[in-house]
Amino acid sequence: MTQLGACMAMETEYGRVPGQGIDRIVLRGALSETFPLSEWVQSLAARYCIDDQLQFAIHLCLEEVVSNIIRHGYAPDTAEPVTIEFSRPLEGQLVFTIEDFAPPFNPLLAPEMPLIDTAGEPAIGGRGIRLLRAFAHTLEHERTAAGNRLRIGFTDSRTQVPEP
Amino acid sequence: MEIATEEMPGGITRVILAGSMDIAGAAAVDLKMNVIAGAHKTVLVDLRQVSFIGSMGLSALVAPARAIMRRGGKMVLFGPNEMVAHVLKTSAIDTVIPVYNDLETAVAALQ
Repeated sequence: MTQLGACMAMETEYGRVPGQGIDRIVLRGALSETFPLSEWVQSLAARYCIDDQLQFAIHLCLEEVVSNIIRHGYAPDTAEPVTIEFSRPLEGQLVFTIEDFAPPFNPLLAPEMPLIDTAGEPAIGGRGIRLLRAFAHTLEHERTAAGNRLRIGFTDSRTQVPEP
Repeated sequence: MEIATEEMPGGITRVILAGSMDIAGAAAVDLKMNVIAGAHKTVLVDLRQVSFIGSMGLSALVAPARAIMRRGGKMVLFGPNEMVAHVLKTSAIDTVIPVYNDLETAVAALQ
């Protein structure tokens, strides 16, 4: 079995669930709805032979973006979705396109939050944007008619392609 | 996400975390971490079995560290893997909660 074959053999049930395909996941506006994200990223990693470090970076970036949308962009317990689509426009390029229905927010332009709060103590939150910028290889934001579209790109020279 | 504690010589409480400190993992340990922080002043958080950490997981470390520091105590982090260490450094957590890869050094820092 080739490496790709071995990877695809490890694919989880995500590849077979209607509406929650291997290349697309829809999450609703509550933090608990983000729990399947980890398993979805694992499924992609298994299918496309994504190494552990890149898988970590992908999981981190997606979690930061989605949790930011749900906590700051949406009203509490909204039914508005966050959609993530995975694509490979070129060999070795992994792109995640995240679409929401939240007010305009461009993480490329957002100021980084201070690490120390006004009381001089370590700030409890506010590190997500910093992590996203550090771990994503490329970031592109555009405003849509209803919300935001963010493309997070990663380059993986080890990603396998099917043999002819 | 699993959490366990054990008492070490010198009055040090060792908190052993295991699993993924993603949103679900952070939610699972957040309350327990704060309870530990309220009851102990010298805490070593063992991260050797933590496979992932995001900003919600970081918050689950910073909040108890703040509580311990307010009471004049100390908290250190021990043994993060390479990627978890990268997150700690990128987020500058390592500037407010010391991070050690060697147990002896971590313990010495608490005494």
